[in-house]
Amino acid sequence: MNTSAGIVLAGGRSSRMGTAKAALEWHGSTLLRHVTGVVGRAVEGPVIVVRALGQELPELEPRVLLCDDLVEGRGPMQGLAVGLAAAAEHCETAFVCSTDLPFLHAAFVQAVLRGFEPDSKTPELGVSPDVVLPFVRGYRQPMAAGYRTNLVPQINKLLEAQRLRPAHLFEECNVRQLDDAALLSDARLASVDPDLDSVFNVNEPDEYRAARSRPAPEVVVERYGVLATSGGGRGLRTIRAANIASAAEQVGLTFDGHIVAALNGDQIRGDGQVPLMPGDIVSFISADAGG
Amino acid sequence: MSIMGAQPGGYFGKALVVDVTDGSTTTVPLPADVLRRYLGGAGLGVWLMNELGPTGVEPLAPDAPLAFVFSPLVGTPLTTSAKFAVVAKSPLTGLLTDALASSHFAIAGKFTGHDAIVLTGRADGPANLLIDEEGVQLVDATEQWGMSASDAEESIRERYGRNWRAASIGPAGERLVRYATISHDGRHAGRGGLGAVMGAKNIKALAVKGRRRVSIADPEAVLAAAKDLRGRSFGPATKKYRELGTLSNLLAFNAISTLPTRNFQAATFAEAPLLSAEELSESRSMAKNSCASCTIGCEHIYATKGGTKVRVEYENVFALGPMCGVSDPDHVLEASARCDALGLDTISAGGTIAWAMECVERGLLDAPWLQFGDGTALLRVLEEIGSRRGVGALLAQGSRRASEVVGQGSSAFAPHVKGMEMPGYEPRTMQSMALGLAVNARGADHNRSGAYEADLKEGLDRVRGTAEHVRAAIETEDRAAIMDSLILCKFLRGVFTEPFEEWAALLSKVTGWDVDGVELRETARRIVHAKRAFNLREGWTPADDWLPERFLDNPLELASGRIATLPAERLRAMIDTYYSERGLDSEGRPILLQTASGTESKV
Repeated sequence: MNTSAGIVLAGGRSSRMGTAKAALEWHGSTLLRHVTGVVGRAVEGPVIVVRALGQELPELEPRVLLCDDLVEGRGPMQGLAVGLAAAAEHCETAFVCSTDLPFLHAAFVQAVLRGFEPDSKTPELGVSPDVVLPFVRGYRQPMAAGYRTNLVPQINKLLEAQRLRPAHLFEECNVRQLDDAALLSDARLASVDPDLDSVFNVNEPDEYRAARSRPAPEVVVERYGVLATSGGGRGLRTIRAANIASAAEQVGLTFDGHIVAALNGDQIRGDGQVPLMPGDIVSFISADAGG
Repeated sequence: MSIMGAQPGGYFGKALVVDVTDGSTTTVPLPADVLRRYLGGAGLGVWLMNELGPTGVEPLAPDAPLAFVFSPLVGTPLTTSAKFAVVAKSPLTGLLTDALASSHFAIAGKFTGHDAIVLTGRADGPANLLIDEEGVQLVDATEQWGMSASDAEESIRERYGRNWRAASIGPAGERLVRYATISHDGRHAGRGGLGAVMGAKNIKALAVKGRRRVSIADPEAVLAAAKDLRGRSFGPATKKYRELGTLSNLLAFNAISTLPTRNFQAATFAEAPLLSAEELSESRSMAKNSCASCTIGCEHIYATKGGTKVRVEYENVFALGPMCGVSDPDHVLEASARCDALGLDTISAGGTIAWAMECVERGLLDAPWLQFGDGTALLRVLEEIGSRRGVGALLAQGSRRASEVVGQGSSAFAPHVKGMEMPGYEPRTMQSMALGLAVNARGADHNRSGAYEADLKEGLDRVRGTAEHVRAAIETEDRAAIMDSLILCKFLRGVFTEPFEEWAALLSKVTGWDVDGVELRETARRIVHAKRAFNLREGWTPADDWLPERFLDNPLELASGRIATLPAERLRAMIDTYYSERGLDSEGRPILLQTASGTESKV
């Protein structure tokens, strides 16, 4: 995990989809809640959602920060500037993505953010790229990329000059591009998202339907203590579940306030809506562990 | 409901002080305002230490007081209320220690007509102290000397009558092992070497018998509250304790890299499943037991292959198992049984032995047989500690003193704070707990801090300590201060949704005071400060609020691949925040005031 913020750009007209992408149903939740949850699992800093002024959003985790983009019609660069300005109070770097990435994986976010670390293989880039830009299957992915938060003045100048495409920014700053091979050199990412589905976005209803028809991610669940011995059963179980509450239900547990989940032996979560991703190991333990 | 000026319900308003040199007694009045400000148990205990303990007294000197402190809820039908605190200056830390135990001793002791019984002096030879409503007797204990605590207890009851209840030391206490326990009915007031304090007074056992009932302000309301609390004690918040006991922590902690292993060289133990509650409960016969007045029944008693029956808790299995690298459950259970019989604190024993094993591994200690993972060596070294033979003479001092003797950098990995060995919570991966361990008055302690609760909930990143972690640790420390003073068992903590308000309501019904949650929060802070003030008087310095170097230099990798580190600067910042939030000065000193209740710190 990196000390970075996560920024999800929720504005945009969703004109091809015909309905707001943020509110699209996603395994009992919404696409925006899912994506913010994934990003939240990957970053240590805040998760910030940038919305258009007056835009209604589905329910989000209480800890998600909301920012209003007051200027219409300038596209993602405007949202990027607003989000990075908000994130600058907390972090030097941020992972920025759009709402429409249903298969975004935390391992992808982390692999991108690791791109800000000094790299002895590309000394020409110096020690501090301004942007870490995935270049997947031959396409740049500016809406699933890492940005330094101090780029805000530069982006604002571009906006004032009506240079509204991310490519204009890339021309003016230090970009570390990560192609498929570079991304998949991260063993964790190669294991859990070998096809780099993280950058698959849904723009049309058919794309959404196809994405939604995929089964929930495969995860491994283990129960501990009385959660295992009181009829639950011991040992590992492989199931498909989109979030923690669903995983609990499938192994006979009610994810109430008396149970928490440790994800991959790391973060402790008590919110059943927290999304799961392929390769996750979910450990259910008593909420009053200790003592 | 206030009855200002009258004796509050739940109290007798006095402490009995017995000089065991000759059996003489004095009575110390406990004014209502003192009781209201310190409640009972650990809180009243620290007030007694501040009042009765000579400044700078050696913990094992005759003048050092040893207090058995009851509380206002003892003797009521409230579940888990039959508990007592034992409080003294610790021979392990040189600072305050207060340990709790439970069951009939608490009720019989209070019903002698006292809110506390304090021992001072030193008997000429081995003696038992018998106290009932009629008075005090010092009787010869030659017959019991050398016995385990439980055998001594049984011997006393056989000789003087079954209605006597005794708290006794084992051979380790007689031999002044600095982490010897005092035990009653198989439960130990375990931490800080209270057994050595009692042994230094030549007292094998304190036996009590009493039927003097204490008045209750509103008996019907207390009964109704007791029924309600009893019902809640059967709910999901206590299920873990009822069905598997605290040992169910073991595998969960292993899964999240918080299980100290091989003297904190790792935070996971590959063989942990062999020692788990899940495994033991399936593979062995198990009996359950409860303390007096308890509806939870957390005690889980397993048998070894040899037939030894052992009360199993997370802490004793962690300390004698993974901490020492021992994975054979029979060895771990036998070791735990030996600690019980000798009267040794399992956490300090395991921590000190694990440190010694690492010294051997590094070639710093000439005891080549004492290897990580060797259960036979574990059993052998426990006997040596209990009898102070061989390497046991060194290890009976605890890891801090032993590392000062061995030197060669071994202090850096001696697993203690203030001299008290660390419980089974890895501080690098539980950083609220790291703060709690560093600043707690008793030393490395999980019961007076309880900050692990914050680390095991959603909301804080447990491996990146911040000011929020500090505030969470303060909250759990305040809650513990009240639970340990009322006294209620912490295994009940999950049933309270508004704990301070609910505890205040219980206290009001018993005492007649119009106490509320706000007042109890202030009381909590007062008790925490009073402990710190006592320590300051006895030589505490700011350097005592710190963690061993090991935790500050060595990163740990979580299963996720994330690296957990606890940089010294972060720990420093958390401690400074703690001082600030607690209203202490920049070096952690309380501001002392003279009040009607004595010298107190400004809250």
